[in-house]
Amino acid sequence: MGRSTGLAGPTGAVADTDPVDAVVGRVRDTLEEVFAAVAETGTDTGALLAGATGAGRGPAVADLTALRPGLHARLAAHPLVSGVGFVAAPGLLTDVPGWLEWWQRGPDGAVRPLLLDLDPEHSAYSDYTHWDWYTLPRETGRRAVAGPYVDYLCSDEYGLTLSAPVTLGGRFVGVTAADVYLRHFEAAVLPVLQRLPAPARLVNARGRVAASTDPAHLAGSLTRGPDFAAVLAGPPAEHRTAGLRLLPCGDTPLVLVMADG
Amino acid sequence: MRPNGRPDEAGGAAGTGAARRAVFTPVDTRARVDTVVRRIGDAIELGLLADGEQLPGETELAGQLGVSTVTLREALMALRQQGLVTTRRGRGGGSFVTLPDDPPQERLRARLAGWSTEELRDLGDHWAAVSGAAALLAARRTQPGDLRPLIRTVEELSAAGDPATRSRLYGRFHVELAAAAQSARLTREEIALQTDLGALLCLVLDDPVHLGNVSDRHRAVISAVQDEADERARTLAETCVRESVGRLIALRLGTPGRATEPEEDTHGQEHRARGPHGGRR
Repeated sequence: MGRSTGLAGPTGAVADTDPVDAVVGRVRDTLEEVFAAVAETGTDTGALLAGATGAGRGPAVADLTALRPGLHARLAAHPLVSGVGFVAAPGLLTDVPGWLEWWQRGPDGAVRPLLLDLDPEHSAYSDYTHWDWYTLPRETGRRAVAGPYVDYLCSDEYGLTLSAPVTLGGRFVGVTAADVYLRHFEAAVLPVLQRLPAPARLVNARGRVAASTDPAHLAGSLTRGPDFAAVLAGPPAEHRTAGLRLLPCGDTPLVLVMADG
Repeated sequence: MRPNGRPDEAGGAAGTGAARRAVFTPVDTRARVDTVVRRIGDAIELGLLADGEQLPGETELAGQLGVSTVTLREALMALRQQGLVTTRRGRGGGSFVTLPDDPPQERLRARLAGWSTEELRDLGDHWAAVSGAAALLAARRTQPGDLRPLIRTVEELSAAGDPATRSRLYGRFHVELAAAAQSARLTREEIALQTDLGALLCLVLDDPVHLGNVSDRHRAVISAVQDEADERARTLAETCVRESVGRLIALRLGTPGRATEPEEDTHGQEHRARGPHGGRR
């Protein structure tokens, strides 16, 4: 808690920009920084899996240890990222049914591996293939932002998980992903939201508030009514509905919501 | 009065709620022994420690648990009396996990005897407060996608074949409910509660009638959350928790179960007949 993400940003840099453009820019830059960590992990993972596959041979858990230096480096380089790794599709690895090569930064700042009991005989949480961060990239073939949600599998924190599919010879073999705790996301975007003339919030495709300067609509609450998914699917233009102005934040899956008028 | 009751049993184990108050009082060795017995016993019942597995050496284990070797030896003695640990001397000796031939339900009842009714009542109050609040907030903050895990869990729960699996799914439902409330703190609280509840819930979920009731009540919680009926969701979640803990307390007392589910009666009689070694000491 309270650890600086270093992303509160240079306060002067956006002062001359239109406040709405500044919000859109900051949201995009923040998520893109995290997606960069996801993409780097994806590149490493793809190369590693390709090298460990072939001639009657398949990748095993031990092969994934080669990812660790990169995962540690990403956690060190991106204060916004609190967890990062590769989640194998069940059946990919030859020696275990499933696996998460996942490393996260603890409250004390130390980086540790996530050790999960993935034996269905012992654990009710052994099937990780139902989480949005896994299903969205698998079903769409594209990168995705899951949450805000309570992550009771890895961190027990409230946050966003950004993920991307990993494929091997055209076959889906898992996802690479990175966690951003909501308090860190808030620290990154709140300064620009506060520069808007009226209370505003960032809302995901399902209406869940991810960050807000409106005390009546705090993070975690739902904004019911507008079809945010349709707004995000359409052209990046402003929508007006039910006394609200809705503006997609570039190609991110978040909508800026402000009171109209 | 329980036939096998001993006056010191009811107040023997300090609940976690008493932990802070207990810091500046003389160390209650008895409570530490009970805590160690409960922790290791639960792990064995839940299959986290396997039959035949060797426990670490006494000094190492005492160090890991943060207790003295004297306390650990007392705890191991209690576990031996319950038949959950066997100690072999000499070369290749040590303490080994053993699952006695008693049916698992009998052993779980012995574990239940390690809880006072007051501790169980307080555990139920805590759990009801957390799950009730979680249900209320989930009803205010849920959109359809959030309910999928809960629906899946209830279906798996009603189809699960053994009490240990049912207990894990019961616990998962409440963790998912707290997650649907968008509260990391309530979620962590539910996860912590399951540490105590896991083994105990196996007892009440053995009964197919109660399992059916639990599944139906959880479906009703989902419906209320879906309808955004926050107060109804809270009441239903609290009722669910109180019913299960109420049955545990009835089992602990060896009294007949509630009138709605009378088949509990015979189980109570069996429990009564277990004698003084049924407890954890």
